[in-house]
Amino acid sequence: MELGCTGKILVVDLTTGRIRPQAVENAVYENFLSGLGLGAWYLYHNIASHADPLGPENVLGFVAGVLTGSGSLFAGRWLVVGKSPLTGCWGEANAGGAFAPAIKQCGFDAIFFSGISPRPVYLFADGNRAELRDAADLWGLDAGAAEARLAEMHTGRKRPRIACIGPAGERQSLIAGVVHDGGRLAARAGLGAVMGAKRLKAVVLAGSQRIKVYDRPGVVRLSRELSATVQNQPPFVSGKVAAYLGRLVRALPAQMETDGLLYKMILRKWGTVGMNQMSIEMGDAPVQNWRGTHHDFDLDTSAALAPDVFTRPVVAKYFCYSCPLGCGALVEGAPGTPPAHRPEYETAMALGPLCLNADAESIFRMNEMLNQAGMDSISAGATIAFAMECYEHGLITRDDTDGLELTWGNSTAMVTLIDKMIRREGIGDLLADGSRVAARRIGAGSERFAVHAGGQELPMHDSRFDPGFALHYAVEPAPGRHTVGSLLYYEMFQLWRQIEGLPGPSRFYLKRSKYDTDVEKARMAAACSQFVNLINAAGLCLFGAFLGVHRLPVFQWLDAVSGQPRPPADYLRIGANIQTARQAFNFRQGVDPLAIQVSDRALGRPPQSRGANKGRSVAVEKLVGEYFQQFGWDRRTGQPRKSILEKIGL
Amino acid sequence: MAYTITDLCIGCGMCKLVCPVVAIEGQPRKDHRILAARCIDCGACGRICPQAAVKDPSGRVCQRIRLRRRWPKPRISEAACIGCTVCVQSCPTSCLGLTAPGGSRESVRKAVLVSPKACIGCGFCAADCPVGAIEMINPEPF
Repeated sequence: MELGCTGKILVVDLTTGRIRPQAVENAVYENFLSGLGLGAWYLYHNIASHADPLGPENVLGFVAGVLTGSGSLFAGRWLVVGKSPLTGCWGEANAGGAFAPAIKQCGFDAIFFSGISPRPVYLFADGNRAELRDAADLWGLDAGAAEARLAEMHTGRKRPRIACIGPAGERQSLIAGVVHDGGRLAARAGLGAVMGAKRLKAVVLAGSQRIKVYDRPGVVRLSRELSATVQNQPPFVSGKVAAYLGRLVRALPAQMETDGLLYKMILRKWGTVGMNQMSIEMGDAPVQNWRGTHHDFDLDTSAALAPDVFTRPVVAKYFCYSCPLGCGALVEGAPGTPPAHRPEYETAMALGPLCLNADAESIFRMNEMLNQAGMDSISAGATIAFAMECYEHGLITRDDTDGLELTWGNSTAMVTLIDKMIRREGIGDLLADGSRVAARRIGAGSERFAVHAGGQELPMHDSRFDPGFALHYAVEPAPGRHTVGSLLYYEMFQLWRQIEGLPGPSRFYLKRSKYDTDVEKARMAAACSQFVNLINAAGLCLFGAFLGVHRLPVFQWLDAVSGQPRPPADYLRIGANIQTARQAFNFRQGVDPLAIQVSDRALGRPPQSRGANKGRSVAVEKLVGEYFQQFGWDRRTGQPRKSILEKIGL
Repeated sequence: MAYTITDLCIGCGMCKLVCPVVAIEGQPRKDHRILAARCIDCGACGRICPQAAVKDPSGRVCQRIRLRRRWPKPRISEAACIGCTVCVQSCPTSCLGLTAPGGSRESVRKAVLVSPKACIGCGFCAADCPVGAIEMINPEPF
């Protein structure tokens, strides 16, 4: 067992009710570390080929990283992993709160569920025991209500940490996520539907086991230095100036290398919503189902969604476990209810400019509805934008929408539609499985309005603005995610400072050079994939990684935790192993990576005729082969070679 | 490694009552024993044992602290606390919590000892705090 890990996983067969701890061999930790890597290793070996994502053979895993509980900062992330019912590919969803340490405090690095329970159940574990308990009374409850009920039921000495599904997961909406901490989501890939299909309402953890670390004082010393950097917050520009900064970025033909410290300042002051107006102005946030521009949602309009508007009702910052930043925020809840979570940037943009909706109050309301139902706000907003465009073109009419006027920006209709999607009622049932499924049902050429990659609705980062996103949307084993890499991320990670041979960007460069398809772009993308896999195996937060490896001591922390120092390049190789395992998983499931297509609109085909991304298109296919080659996979097909798989024990 | 109980045990059951992870078994007036796999080395059994029958993982006999209110307690520096919640999650008895929301976007909910009576003086909060904002203090005797 590697220090920092528990050396065990908990395996639960929901069909038979059998629960067994299982020791994990050292070689697995050597090759894959923990967290995402452990999940990739386990799912590769334990999900039969061509498995039905909603069937008993799919495995749903809750995994925690090696640095969680070690004294490291930013180490409170956990992931849900499984075969995605939304894409049919490798699926993962990332979340924070305090559930990650709770997994390890029960004595496990991960908990995996297979089978389907004959009745609704939840898992209770506290380090001494793990048992499935009846959840009939919880089935049907909103996530917050279920969590509150479970907390009331488990009043032992240790306060339990809970992850659960809401009604969206129970109804197997393919855009359902897993909820924790009163309304935060591991949202993507539809893994809440997998949990619902397994009739697993919740996972309740109340353990107190300690994590063994080789040099805890050394870890803490590194953490204190980092904390001082994060706490240092010079007086920063107002929200309005941030918006004009976006306009400036749009206007200039050149840009400079971005330092993540700037992003840290924005996050610390406003959270992710600090980017709201800036992103719209510079062309990062897609508008009107990816066909619009800042002209369609101008500065006067977006002022309704300004960072200061979104932070006005905030009553306190929200911190995930071991986070020194606190980018989340709590707002006043409804009377008699605890504080709610403020919408994040992705939610604000997906329910805002993507649908031409400038009604902030409606966004707050829809955010809370989605959080309590356990539905992904990115996919929900994108699916509504898709429906609005279908409505505009007459592909669906008022007869289909139960009388709803699905016109652009109609926030009242949006609120009603979200409610219908959660309930799977009428038009809501048509849209509850995301835009690709809805387009198949509607037909009539509506596919061209569904903006996704491999079935997952694209997040609120325009690949025409940063073509690095396009490559990751297309080639990642979990397609359509914004939390892996881009040209901007590569600049912020600053990997070239510690990994020999990686290209460093120019301090100043012309923006048009971002669209050149040179081999360096593929190398940078592969490095992002490897690094973020490592981050997810360590249980770290991407926002911490944005500080750069010269500030976030990820390699030094890992050395201090294990007591076995390795060169940074070796750690990146673990990230590559994880990528190979996930890619091999997809092949086993019959996924052809070349068949994962990013919608034309997101690639600028045809290019926009105005706006920040005017005339831009992204030739992503020219880089795919190069990207595959960076991992030693077959350049033409993307299939990992047998020799590589054997080398890492797959 | 784990704490152990020697044959000085008289089976009073105090350790069993205070153990936060149900790691001690034994019948009244019979020898008790600690289940090593469950023990989290919090040391509460050693602090409460009236017979000095508990040894720590290095084999030293634990000192009883007769009055529980004199057990070490965390002192949290509000200025140094960054609100990261590590201590809250580390505490095996959930005696730490967060201050109430301050009502603004700058408000950071700091760690606070909400249930002093539940505190077992384990010091995990201080050991795990990534910014050294917690120290364990011995309350002054009356």
